[in-house]
Amino acid sequence: MTAVATNKDTGKPAGKGAPGRLGRAVRDHAGVPVMAALGLLGFWLFPEDLGLMTRILATALYVLSLDLVLGYCGIATLGQAAMFGTGAYAAGIAAVHLVSDPLVLLAVGGVAGGLIALVTGALILHAHGLTLLMLTIAVVQIVQEVANKARDWTGGSDGLSGIDPSPVLGLFRFDLYGRTSYLFALAVLLVMFLVARRIVRSPFGLACRGVKEDPLRVQALGGSPRRYLVGMYAIAGVFAGVAGALTAVSTGIVGLDSVSFTWSAEALVMLVLGGTGRLYGAVIGTVAFMAIHHILAASDPFHWMLFIGLFLMGVVLFLPGGIASLGERLSGLLSRSPSRTAEGDRP
Amino acid sequence: METVFGIAVDGVAYGMILFIISVGLSVTLGLMRVVNLAHGAFAMVGGYIASSVMQGAGLPYELALVAAVLLTVLLALPLERLLYRRIYGSANELAQVLLTIGLCFVIVAGMNYLFGPTLKRIPLPDYLSGVVMLGPKAISAHRIFVIGAGLTALVGLWWLLERTDFGIRLRAAVDNPGMAAALGIRTERLYAATFALGTGLAAFGGVLGSELLPLEPYYALRYIVLFLAVVAVGGAGSIFGSAAAAVALGVIDTAGKYLIPNFGEFFFYTALILILFRWPHGFFKRGTA
Amino acid sequence: MKSVLRGALLGAVVGLALGAGPALADTVKVGVIAPFSGPFATVGKTFKEAIEVYQAQNGKTVGGHTVQFVYKDLDQANPAQSKALAQELVVKEKVGYLAGFFFTPDALAVAPLIDEANIPAVIFNAATSAITEKSPLYVRTSFTLWQATVPLAEHVYKTGVRKVVTAVSDYGPGIDGETAFKTTFEKAGGQVVDSIRMPLKSADFAPFMQRIKDSGAEAVYAFLPAGPTTLGFAKAFNDNGLREKGIKFVGPGDITQEPDLLALGDAALGITTTFHYSAAHDSAMNKAFIAKHKELFGSSDTVTFTSAGAYDGTHLIYKMVEATDGKRDGAKAVEAVKNLAWESPRGPLKLDPASRHVTQNMYLRVVEKVDGQLVNKEIETFPNQPDYGFKGK
Repeated sequence: MTAVATNKDTGKPAGKGAPGRLGRAVRDHAGVPVMAALGLLGFWLFPEDLGLMTRILATALYVLSLDLVLGYCGIATLGQAAMFGTGAYAAGIAAVHLVSDPLVLLAVGGVAGGLIALVTGALILHAHGLTLLMLTIAVVQIVQEVANKARDWTGGSDGLSGIDPSPVLGLFRFDLYGRTSYLFALAVLLVMFLVARRIVRSPFGLACRGVKEDPLRVQALGGSPRRYLVGMYAIAGVFAGVAGALTAVSTGIVGLDSVSFTWSAEALVMLVLGGTGRLYGAVIGTVAFMAIHHILAASDPFHWMLFIGLFLMGVVLFLPGGIASLGERLSGLLSRSPSRTAEGDRP
Repeated sequence: METVFGIAVDGVAYGMILFIISVGLSVTLGLMRVVNLAHGAFAMVGGYIASSVMQGAGLPYELALVAAVLLTVLLALPLERLLYRRIYGSANELAQVLLTIGLCFVIVAGMNYLFGPTLKRIPLPDYLSGVVMLGPKAISAHRIFVIGAGLTALVGLWWLLERTDFGIRLRAAVDNPGMAAALGIRTERLYAATFALGTGLAAFGGVLGSELLPLEPYYALRYIVLFLAVVAVGGAGSIFGSAAAAVALGVIDTAGKYLIPNFGEFFFYTALILILFRWPHGFFKRGTA
Repeated sequence: MKSVLRGALLGAVVGLALGAGPALADTVKVGVIAPFSGPFATVGKTFKEAIEVYQAQNGKTVGGHTVQFVYKDLDQANPAQSKALAQELVVKEKVGYLAGFFFTPDALAVAPLIDEANIPAVIFNAATSAITEKSPLYVRTSFTLWQATVPLAEHVYKTGVRKVVTAVSDYGPGIDGETAFKTTFEKAGGQVVDSIRMPLKSADFAPFMQRIKDSGAEAVYAFLPAGPTTLGFAKAFNDNGLREKGIKFVGPGDITQEPDLLALGDAALGITTTFHYSAAHDSAMNKAFIAKHKELFGSSDTVTFTSAGAYDGTHLIYKMVEATDGKRDGAKAVEAVKNLAWESPRGPLKLDPASRHVTQNMYLRVVEKVDGQLVNKEIETFPNQPDYGFKGK
């Protein structure tokens, strides 16, 4: 609960001070430490909810991977779970047959997710709009069917169980309360977040944004738009794969749901909720959606869907840029004349 | 030979059902540029209305179908006014996704609350519940009725969009809203009418297709992929495209399931990918888009 | 505030580290994980209603301990979420028992957790034989595909049918059913001429019907998850003239579960199934169960096999609470019920000590219209059927 409320605050330090350059600088330097502090605060305040909170962290990384393709390249996809699930299954299969070190498993998941993204991305990224959307759906359905058919390896619909990772760095055992899992996931998320920020600000990342805004111009300048897109798609695949592996390692089981269309769609909902094109948006959206879902489902397991539906609609109508835009809007209200403050914000 | 004939008959019948259910989405997505993920929800609402007026008020099937279409449109129009109108325009695609998914959740929860989670049925009149022999091939009378209804809808829509004043204005408004408004076309009304058309078609398909896609609260989310596939392959906004796509996908699905049932899913999605490679804008690209 | 939380956490750690905790107050909590929303919401509903009927009949306390149920929604098969919910139930809600579990992967996901926390998990449904091998703390009150299919295959052979097609949904339980049928039927001397595995997401079943027709089989053994798919399959069976051709339609009882019968309508008439529970089971206990259900919820139309699973699961939980005097000791609790035999609305039940799964009567049923309502009418009993799929030592 508090996690939601406080996480919204991450935007605020940027807003409350002077907006613009200074705000951005503050956010740059304070953002990740604040996230880390909030993560640890959550650990301290809700020691009994670590299972759920670990899932939130791993999911945040997954949604972050979607932000890389959608928010920074403009690729609308409903197939991100193909990468997540491939990473999860690769890590799971490696854990059952080969290795048990959690860090190695994450690497396995990342490589697997990156490879599948590279191959499928090269195949389908020439398309646009609805066609591309449908192609990504077809890919995730095929990957799911492969996982369903390869029962000997994946357990099929029964799920792949028996994943028993060894202690992190040989020291910290995965315990019943999920303390190790949580701190491990938090560390992974923070590191990956920093890496993602590095990438989106690199010349490569900026070029991707350029492709999103004006592909013809990139082409005119001698770049290949498609190469950039495939590159970022593969990188996002690595992120999604690591997120899948993280889920596999922390829960010890992988199911077919992790390569489903539904799981892809959920990522999209969480990202749009938080706000696309901002890395914080992915994290905030995930925390908000999952925490609210959890609270609603706990208080009314039968009709929570009604309230979460109303919540999503409310965000669209009253916060069109997603939750992450809240901070910027507030700062806009404080500093500028009140009219049309939000228009300048990117959707 | 008999096999080929069987696949063709089943495939076309299935395709026409897909067409009837999906064409409304093609209208809203192609003509209004609204990614209406709540399309399935409107189809479901139509089905539930038909089911309850038949069992509650004792209406015959034909009247229930009409009632379902009218009532669904009546229920959906305020939503257009309150919700959809705020998110028209292709710059809002992501907001559209979020809003319509949210709406979907609300409708799913509402139906679950009102009618419970169990399957609901729309009883068929006697003349539709039998089996008809087409040469060596048995097919249900209801499917033949659906094929007929599908063809009627196809011709009717073509006429409406290509031959009437309404269609001309609508296409003008879509292609250049500013210019259309300047010419005195009342785009707001036009959009509301088109939205009504889309939801009416959804309800129509929901009732007619319920033999194949049974009514339960989760219907709204369960078949989205199927609807999107038809629209993507057909080319959003193209009525003939949707029909061609639906029949093509119906035949492909049927052939795959008949010939290699254990790999039916692979067959369908691989074919889908290949089609989209060959026709990246769908079978019928709207020239104006 | 924080120090209080911290203290509570430490207390919990120490309490658990010492093994069996003391009986907490006088309430024993049971965490039920099941689909209460989404496409399988009917299942959660039947679980909850059956639990409430049991409590209404037997009181909310046993041996001086109040038994309280906590519900957690898991709308689709999602093992990772299942584990997170179970973890929350154990750590936060301090439940003494886990229960529910509709899907196999969701049940499998909690195995390491219940072992570590020493908490029994009572499975109300998940029907894959292998589950109970994964932890000694699993107890199951439902059925397995093997249990239902073996007597059915033998019966089909006895009626003179020699050629059968199996048509199952392409997932774990479907494949279990297919294997069980094939093994048994071929051992008896029959022939399975074609085995069709249908994608779970199929909407149109006409092509499979054509294939079944072309195979020249006299009967089709079908298994699909209850709900829309079964409905589509049964309708296609009639619409494509298979019924007219005289092909027999048999399968485990999921395919004619009571909540679907109304929607199936006359398409269901004549479908022959074997199963452990029919709402139309003729016994005083079942009648009392149905009457109480009607009294509490106004209608008993949705009472079905998942209701029976939950009702008997609740009975087991009561027995375990009684045997451990409300203390948290899973191993002891399971030990206490390992040989338990009791009378249930479905007939006599006995827990098999090796598999911790119920040995029960299987009934041969035909869908018939009784007083204008479709029911699964029991016409023959195969007594004391064990789980034929259990391979553990």
